[in-house]
Amino acid sequence: MKETTENVSLDDASWRQTKTQDTIFHSEEDNSLYFTYSGKSNVLEVKDLNYQVNTASQIPWYEKLAQMKMPWTWKSDPRSHVTVIQNLNLKVRSGQMLAIIGTTAGGKTSLLDVITCRDHGGKIKSGQVMINNKPSTPQLVRKCIAHVRQDDRLLPHLTVRETLLFIAKLRLPKFFSDSQRKKRVEDVIAELRLRQCANTRVGNECLRGISGGERRRVSIGVQLLWNPGILILDEPTSGLDSFTAHNLVITLSRLARGNRLVLLSLHQPRSDIFQLFDLVLLMSSGLTAYCGTAKDMVQYFTELGYPCPRYSNPADFYVDLTSIDKQTAEKEMESKKRANTLANLFVEKVKHFDDFLWKATEGDNTDNTVIKQRNSEEVINMPHDLNDQLPGALKQFTILLSRQVSNDFRDLSTLLIHGFEALLMSLLIGFLYYGHEKNGLSIRDTTALLYMIGALIPFTIILDVVAKCHSERAMLYHDLEGGMYSVSPYFFAKILGELPEHCIFVVIYGIPIYWLANLVPDPEHFLLNFLLLWLVVYSARAMALWVAALLPTLQLSAFLGNVLFTSFYLSGGFVINLNSLWIVPFWVSKISFLRWNFEGMMQVQFTDTIYEMTDGNITYQIPGKLVTQALDLDSHPLYVSYFVLTGIICSFLLLYYLCLRFIKQKSTQDW
Amino acid sequence: MSGRASPTLENSGSTGRTGKGMTVGQLPNSISVQGVSYTIRERVGPWWNFSLYCKKWTRQILKDVSFHIESGQIMGILGNSGSGKTALLDAISGRLGHKDNFFGDVYVNGHQLKREQFRDCFSYMPQTDTLLSFLTVQESLTYTALLTLKMCSSSSIKKKVDAVMTELSLSHIADKIIGSWNVAGISGGERRRVSVAAQLLQDPKIMLLDEPTTGLDCLTANQLVLLLSELAHRDRIVILTIHQPRSELFKLFDKIAIMSFGEMVFCGNPMEMISFFSDCGYSCPEQSNPFDFYVDLTSVDTRSKEHELETYSRVQDFVSAYRNSEIFSKVLAAIEKTKYTKELPPIPFKKKDSPNGFDQILILLRRTTRNLSRDKIGIIMRLLQNLLFGLFIAFFLLRLRSDVAQGAVQDRVGLIYQCVSAPPYTGMLNAVALFPPLRAISDQESKDGLYKKWQMLVAYIIHFLPFSVISVAIFSTFIYWTTGLYPDASRFGIFFAVVLASHMIGELLTLVILGMVQDPNIVQSGIVLLNSAGVIVGTGLVRTIEEMPAPLKLLSFFTFQKYSSEVLVVNEFYGLNFTCGGDNSSTANNPACVFSQGIRFIEENYPRALSWFTADVLILYAFIPVLVIIAILSFKLRENY
Repeated sequence: MKETTENVSLDDASWRQTKTQDTIFHSEEDNSLYFTYSGKSNVLEVKDLNYQVNTASQIPWYEKLAQMKMPWTWKSDPRSHVTVIQNLNLKVRSGQMLAIIGTTAGGKTSLLDVITCRDHGGKIKSGQVMINNKPSTPQLVRKCIAHVRQDDRLLPHLTVRETLLFIAKLRLPKFFSDSQRKKRVEDVIAELRLRQCANTRVGNECLRGISGGERRRVSIGVQLLWNPGILILDEPTSGLDSFTAHNLVITLSRLARGNRLVLLSLHQPRSDIFQLFDLVLLMSSGLTAYCGTAKDMVQYFTELGYPCPRYSNPADFYVDLTSIDKQTAEKEMESKKRANTLANLFVEKVKHFDDFLWKATEGDNTDNTVIKQRNSEEVINMPHDLNDQLPGALKQFTILLSRQVSNDFRDLSTLLIHGFEALLMSLLIGFLYYGHEKNGLSIRDTTALLYMIGALIPFTIILDVVAKCHSERAMLYHDLEGGMYSVSPYFFAKILGELPEHCIFVVIYGIPIYWLANLVPDPEHFLLNFLLLWLVVYSARAMALWVAALLPTLQLSAFLGNVLFTSFYLSGGFVINLNSLWIVPFWVSKISFLRWNFEGMMQVQFTDTIYEMTDGNITYQIPGKLVTQALDLDSHPLYVSYFVLTGIICSFLLLYYLCLRFIKQKSTQDW
Repeated sequence: MSGRASPTLENSGSTGRTGKGMTVGQLPNSISVQGVSYTIRERVGPWWNFSLYCKKWTRQILKDVSFHIESGQIMGILGNSGSGKTALLDAISGRLGHKDNFFGDVYVNGHQLKREQFRDCFSYMPQTDTLLSFLTVQESLTYTALLTLKMCSSSSIKKKVDAVMTELSLSHIADKIIGSWNVAGISGGERRRVSVAAQLLQDPKIMLLDEPTTGLDCLTANQLVLLLSELAHRDRIVILTIHQPRSELFKLFDKIAIMSFGEMVFCGNPMEMISFFSDCGYSCPEQSNPFDFYVDLTSVDTRSKEHELETYSRVQDFVSAYRNSEIFSKVLAAIEKTKYTKELPPIPFKKKDSPNGFDQILILLRRTTRNLSRDKIGIIMRLLQNLLFGLFIAFFLLRLRSDVAQGAVQDRVGLIYQCVSAPPYTGMLNAVALFPPLRAISDQESKDGLYKKWQMLVAYIIHFLPFSVISVAIFSTFIYWTTGLYPDASRFGIFFAVVLASHMIGELLTLVILGMVQDPNIVQSGIVLLNSAGVIVGTGLVRTIEEMPAPLKLLSFFTFQKYSSEVLVVNEFYGLNFTCGGDNSSTANNPACVFSQGIRFIEENYPRALSWFTADVLILYAFIPVLVIIAILSFKLRENY
């Protein structure tokens, strides 16, 4: 390690570096206004932070159950408490960019979680986090911190430009004009080098869209759009190619120079990226190995006896130096010891500085990164209190609605598949119960048909809706957490946005069957029948929405949906006679939308008709009423069916709303 | 880190059919790529942007790429995303999609390979690891070895596996389970090494790896590349694409190729690279990673038009400088030389004496069973899911009655309807949950030429038989006796047989479609649709078959539900007598009273069923072999794409 001690003066090297770099990377003039932040300057301070994580609580409850662990044993395991951050001190001001580097499991992500008040199962043992001398709270965080997460949450069917435009509409204050919003979106697209794919849809794992690196950049763009005072990024460069990564960090450093506070965590930065940092925090298993200006890091470690070898990246070298090597037990011991020693040394060294940063010389006390107040005159005034100026609930609702409609509408293949599915079902059942032959349908077949109409289609609907809600959930969770919009506008937008699809679906499904089966051919009966169908399919939809919002995983939701549907199916009055149900299923049948649909359709169809039945030579006249009686479906007048169905829909929707409101469903990747 | 040298491997390699090429004085193995170009045509915009959608543009994926590499060398292909790295690997290994847009030649030892020779010559490691999650490292390597090598002795296979594990320093985790996203197992780097080890079992002379270091942390990534270079130096050719390599690796590569926009900007050894770029006027700064520096230098900046033009012209300068350089002319000379050598060395095939097809199926069966038997929850779920459903029905139905007026017939029909439609559905759920990972592995391993895809299918089919029998036995015992179906042991036997058949048919049907459709979700909804359609058309429980339109009547003969329901109806109603309401009720009062004898119900609705009883059972069971054959055919078709 020490044999290559040919130490180069770093300033010299970096000077040469910048010169060559400039020929590769065009340092653009800061012409776009939004790169400056004109709110009051921010200070982020972390004092003596000790943070402990309960690893057991990071396993979701349903997985614990799946592993046959009972709820009462969950809390008791003391080994699961792990200290991930120890004695951390930190102070960053607007205009500075702090990079947190270190190997995996070094506590980087935990630190960002603590700062943004999203501590999942963690506990602050001592110390505190201050933003502008106020302890950080979720409200405060929401107001002034933009947090770019490691994974991407975007609607798959919108193009890049549309994605950003919708965010711009939701997130930028009211006084922005449409053209200003568009301008800013274009700025961000240009800045993140997304021009090439601006009109390509975003896509996801299943759907081909833009590449993974481009998706990362869109996620970053989403946060850059609203121009916050503090920008926190978790591993922004992972998955990006080096060139884009470099450009991204240049962008970030320019953002920082525009009087903004930038905090980013990085696995192991490349040498050219490392040069761009102002401040560096080197963490190793929760300990601080170094915290100070980037360009003094080499000097600091050289003084401690660890010079950086030539032709090697100081960041790589020192991260490796402080990382815990778990290959063998001896190596692990040794590297742990080294990391501890380095951390203790550092604590000793910075004891005397009030901002806990190590500095090369005593006299050089002033910030190296002077906050250069831009002297551009017509800076767009970013309001200090963003929340008041954000679009109101009604506006949010319309934006969300149009976003949802365009996302759904773009998904042509799914729409076509659903439409095709409905048509196929309809034609199949229709031809199966083809009623235009001279005898028409028998009583038994008509009964079966009326039940099947209502019972077959909701099943596919439930599966589709549950799957869709789960795919959108990650984004919903983070939008709500980030305060981009509130639950109510989303709820109404979701419900209203799905209505057209629903109506078309029911029309495609309902009309051919009715005609093919030759049910009572007058408009009144048809409309009554159609309305029932509309209601029953919508109840299935509402139930699926509720189930999806209630439970944490797709499998569980699909399972519960299945169970509920099968209960309603069995207690619907067709499969098992309503009379022979015992008490529990009897009550289930009271809320079974399939039963009320069946009852309604039977009454519409049979009440006024008289059937002829031949048995040998004798022909009976059977009034339709008798049929409904036999099935015990005449207990209530017709209008009750409509009321009950509507009631069922409303209660499912209410339950859905309550679940959205009070159960914060993370997506599986967040656990 | 890895063992420096393992003589066992070298020796066993030289016994293979390629051994001759390695004796001293022989020419080394080589790959020459000459003037390879590849284009695809794609639409400019999405479908809703109609004007853009109509336009198509031709994208140049590879443009006139040439290089030459010999055994004992490791080559790293660098470049930004979209620069054609992976396409180049695909071109070498003959895996490109549309052959008609492909120009240029790839020679291995001066031979042009035939289509089927590619897979026997190259070992190709894609970006994702496909490994069975519940096997230990040693087991998964042993099974791969068994599939590759003719049944030598088990001790020689063990020796071989041990040697490979030592070479890749996997010995200390030999008995650890591989794991998956929700099962704890070995780490990502170890998993990659297991994949490499599986490839090494075949003693390939040429290894291609697509982004082997992605997703690994730096330390592990370094170790992996170091390992690969050691492998290369033992007389192999190793070519890998790599994303952001670290500076320590710079000297490890014998050749470094930089790709940009489909063009090879440079290809040569590290020292040549530094001097080449210095000559062009860009020397690498001291404290910086040369890989990064040169890749940045050759990137095209698309942020704005001017930058794009400027950077693009810089790349063009490099390309022309490279083409005029001495390095490039040496490459061309080397290619010509191999092409026109009098005695061309033979193509270095991988070692392959795979056992015969039947043994392969047995090995696959053992592997599948071993893997799935470790999944405790999975097994419990599979055995009990039918029962779960049975509990559900029993909860609603409690016990069948004998009074027609209280729905004796209706309830029985409902129960039979459930017993016909639910078992195929649970079978489908099994197949959709368990088979896709196996399918992914068979896709991968059949590309490596280990076995054919349908063999994996057959192994899976054999493996699920006992599970189906037990699961259906539990279900039918429960439902038959709690609900009170016809109390007779032989009738129960028939009931069990019918439910078992429909359960298996459901699973087989799903396998057929899984062979044709990739996405399991689509398969799932397709099967649900197919099943409900079959139930309505075939069973006659919800629609009198006699009154159906003729084409549908015909169609009903092709549904297995027709046979299962007929058998079950006869099985239950034959010889059963019901009461009807009180004493004074008459047929006029309640039309259902017509059916106070079970036989009446059968005659009325299934006049054919009585005489066809045995035939129905036989036809139902005939569905199973037929579906197995169709499934095998669908996987044979899958082989070609």
